[in-house]
Amino acid sequence: MAAPLPFTENERRLLRSLLRHEVRFMVVGLSAAAFPGAPVITQDVDLWFEKLGDPEMSRALQEVGAAYVPPSINNPRMLAGTVAELFDIVIRMDGLGKFADEIENCVEIQLGHQKLKVLSLERILASKLAANRAKDQLTIPVLRDTLAAALGAKRQKI
Amino acid sequence: MKRLAAQSDKDIKARRWARRLSMRVKKIVAAHPGADPDNIRHALILLELPPFARLQRSLIRGRAAAIYRK
Repeated sequence: MAAPLPFTENERRLLRSLLRHEVRFMVVGLSAAAFPGAPVITQDVDLWFEKLGDPEMSRALQEVGAAYVPPSINNPRMLAGTVAELFDIVIRMDGLGKFADEIENCVEIQLGHQKLKVLSLERILASKLAANRAKDQLTIPVLRDTLAAALGAKRQKI
Repeated sequence: MKRLAAQSDKDIKARRWARRLSMRVKKIVAAHPGADPDNIRHALILLELPPFARLQRSLIRGRAAAIYRK
């Protein structure tokens, strides 16, 4: 039996639409850390976009009934629409380089026929260390231990 | 009898898997003395799953936690 997918059909449609329109984005944050095995808990999937408000991004979102909402006094920037509720927008990552540099070293995860780019665990850890908020301090040891486990697992396989 | 034999076979496999896991955790903790064995064990278990299944677990836990808070 195939492994259950964490995304609903609509959420998959949204990701596929962004990829089909060649919108440059990657998965970051704790959901990205979950891909390489970090035992963390998260309620949303953070997406780091290179350029917000790009016409291709608007088209991709429109196709699935979503929209980009710029920040206002009361709300942060967000993706609106029921298909987009799981996703949060990120435009800057503490402690990391430019989007264009970071995307070169990200990990690719197969999503149907397309490839979803995911920030590597090493870079997520670097970002958490730089941000160093109370909530980051809780996850930093878990991310470090996951790197050790992944390295150990790799060595034990050899 | 067949059912008992099958159960004990599963049991043996499970015990073997647990023993192997515990040895792997020990080795990794020995190489990384500051590491938390629980984190290592959970990460090794997750590494046996496909990437999307790992995210599924993280999101289910996150969503469940949100439900409990309500």
